[in-house]
Amino acid sequence: MPSDLTFWVQTIFNCLGLGGLMLLIAIGLNIIYGINRVINLAHGSIYALGAYFGYTLVAKGLSFFWALLVAPIMVVAVGLAIERSVIAPIRARPMLYSLILTYGVMVTIDGLAKYIWGVQPQFIATPAFLSRTVYIAEIPYPFYRFFMLFVTAGVMVGLMFLLGKTKMGITMRAASHIPEMVSVLGINMNLVHMGVFALGCALAGIGGVIAGPLLTVYPMMGHEMLISCFVVLVIGGLGSLRGSVVAALLVGTVQTLGYIFITDYAMVVVYVMMALVLSFMPRGLLGEGKFE
Amino acid sequence: MSENNDSEGERDMEASKRQSRTVLVFLLLVGFLIALPFFMDNRFYLRLATEILIYGLLAMSLDVLLGYTGLLSFMHCAYMGIGAYTVALYLKFVDPASSWWFLMILGVGATFLVALPIGWLQVRTGGFAFALLTVAFGMMYYTIVWKARGVTGGDDGLIGLPSPDITLGNWVLGSLKDPISIYFFTLGVVLVCYLLTKRIMHSPFGAVLESIRENEERASFIGVHVHRYKLMGWMLACTLGGVSGVLFTFLKCSVSPTVMESSAGGALLMMTLLGGVGTLWGPFIGAAVYIFVQDYVSTMTEHWMIFLGLVLIFLVLFTPKGIAGFRDSLLAGEKK
Amino acid sequence: MDILRIEELSHFFGGVTAVNRVNLLFVENELRSIIGPNGAGKTTLFNVITGRFPASSGRVIFRGRDITGRSSHEIVRFGICRTFQKSSIFSGLTVFENVRIARQAWHGGSHRIFSRRDSLKAVHQETQAILERLGLTEKARLLASNLSHGDQRLLEIGIALAGHPKLLLLDEPTAGMSPRETEATTQLIRQLARKVAVVLVEHDMDVVMSISDKISVMHQGAIIAEGTPDEIQRNELVREAYLGKEE
Repeated sequence: MPSDLTFWVQTIFNCLGLGGLMLLIAIGLNIIYGINRVINLAHGSIYALGAYFGYTLVAKGLSFFWALLVAPIMVVAVGLAIERSVIAPIRARPMLYSLILTYGVMVTIDGLAKYIWGVQPQFIATPAFLSRTVYIAEIPYPFYRFFMLFVTAGVMVGLMFLLGKTKMGITMRAASHIPEMVSVLGINMNLVHMGVFALGCALAGIGGVIAGPLLTVYPMMGHEMLISCFVVLVIGGLGSLRGSVVAALLVGTVQTLGYIFITDYAMVVVYVMMALVLSFMPRGLLGEGKFE
Repeated sequence: MSENNDSEGERDMEASKRQSRTVLVFLLLVGFLIALPFFMDNRFYLRLATEILIYGLLAMSLDVLLGYTGLLSFMHCAYMGIGAYTVALYLKFVDPASSWWFLMILGVGATFLVALPIGWLQVRTGGFAFALLTVAFGMMYYTIVWKARGVTGGDDGLIGLPSPDITLGNWVLGSLKDPISIYFFTLGVVLVCYLLTKRIMHSPFGAVLESIRENEERASFIGVHVHRYKLMGWMLACTLGGVSGVLFTFLKCSVSPTVMESSAGGALLMMTLLGGVGTLWGPFIGAAVYIFVQDYVSTMTEHWMIFLGLVLIFLVLFTPKGIAGFRDSLLAGEKK
Repeated sequence: MDILRIEELSHFFGGVTAVNRVNLLFVENELRSIIGPNGAGKTTLFNVITGRFPASSGRVIFRGRDITGRSSHEIVRFGICRTFQKSSIFSGLTVFENVRIARQAWHGGSHRIFSRRDSLKAVHQETQAILERLGLTEKARLLASNLSHGDQRLLEIGIALAGHPKLLLLDEPTAGMSPRETEATTQLIRQLARKVAVVLVEHDMDVVMSISDKISVMHQGAIIAEGTPDEIQRNELVREAYLGKEE
């Protein structure tokens, strides 16, 4: 067990980084469930799309920062198309339908991604500006990872502002608790649903782009992230944003430490955690979730 | 009153006519399947037919879980994997000369033993939570099998396994290495399983499972011990899955983690949905369609998954009935 | 002979006391109605009695046996059957099968995995009898989801009856029914009450006043009055809390 400070400081930041990334994507999934009442199994693929779009934009010469802005917009466009065409029609139907449908969407997007970009892992070139090493009290740490944390934190703050202070955000929150009231107040629920879905996709897209340089871009990246996100949602409690924060940090930590200490079976620990929480605490660790 | 009796009588006659028609169709189909090897010279297609039977059985077992008990699993392939690996490991490391029935009992027994505690944990939940748990455990099994290279051969799996002979008492009826023998053996086992399962699903026990599928809460309020029955439905489904796993290893003489990875789980779900949930025979058709498409279309393009995903979306949106007829109310049971 | 005794029963959840130290006594051959404004806790009371919600404190004693905290399927076995406010039936099954499975669940035979369903002759016959009683025989082969709302409410009662209850809890059985259906159902309930203890939660005051032997009034989780229909009609407290504001 390495006891030197360097290792631990780096590892802690890695845990935060991975947890933050998971949080971005898990929150998207969470609000889509909480407000739209749809479990979007295609969410991981949308995250992967963000990474792939980012890759293409950068490969075509766009700067990374512009890609970080444009790729999520492209992802939102795709997401809205999906939402309007296939998800909205089945919203009234029982949940099992949306599970199978979004599963079909996931398979389709994955297939298309393989078709367009091929099976080989790709790399998003990190801009030189971000590729330096920075020193925290003489401990080296890749600046890009700090940037990632910064983006994640920034997005979270933005999200909190959006949900807490803007009219749109408050409407969304109300819709998650009492959808009937919201529509009675004359607010167009279709717009709310579209807005929520767009927001969720935007978060996933941003996550995809910033994950790109770090984790490489490959077809299965969506699946793995999706599973981790579900673990986060289960542990944090479906519908609980606060729970997601705690859970994302927890899962990020377990996964990071797991890969360091028991490499091969790291994910098994994560799965066991999810199984235990699901079986015995279906409302999540904080008891705020709504896993009926 | 007598009018009522007449129409009752008419209805009964209709019902028994329908029933004899069904039996006739079934016998014709079985006849066709038995005759198949004699007009199909191509070994490859015979093996493919055998594979379809095996996956059909697995898809049928998922139908027991989904179509009759109302539980969705994304990783049901895991139970085929456990059956398949148990037999493979035993053949490789313990006794290459084991008899087929011993291996069958072993494979099915192992699947049963694993499925029981996991099932007990899982049936405390339902719906999406249950589905997620199947993913959690399925991925767990997969990771363990994949990473334990020393034992399971990891990514490469186990290959070059011996094929037991088909023996009945002291008579040797054939070797499972022979494509025709293994086809008939598989057909026999699958038929027995199908008939047994059909019987069970149409029994009073099956009726209880259906009530759980339709309205789990109501079921408990008519006195049904829902957890216990869900567990039983689960065990039946997993045990049948184990049988398909044993048959798989007999056919392929090898096994690899691909049989139990997440895409296999998804493919299996697709087979069951394509063929029609809640029918038991529909999944066989779904398996045939899926495997044919995969075999045929994938030679033309690697991107047939796009096509399949679109088919699934189309199915859900416009015809949630699949090919065989999917009771819409099946999913109505999920509404609480 | 008391059939159901509820002692100091409470249920709190999420900061709300839905049932507040309720004490009730039900006797055999009595048709009791529980009334009260929306949110008074009537359905919650049913839910606690039948094991759907846990009791935060207090006891439920059924025919001398403490059933507090028991699971719902056990309580059905003991002899308490209920209907739901919002029809909870087996939508994808036929009307016949809806009642048949309820009968089978109580009668036994669910362990039989190799016989056919109709080999349970007694279950079959009793199902037919129940359907006849409800007037649903003609519709026996229809899918439950295709029934009209009123017939679904009726089926709901049929499912509860099939459990051979000693105590029948009916939660707003006539909700959404036409006047004719309501009248027929009221008659049905009156007949049922001759053999089975019935507890009725109802909003339709005509129904309540015409068939109840005794009425308990709930308000904000507590029982505020109990008595015969006449007594209740004259009770000031009840008027204030409820009847006065009813249309």
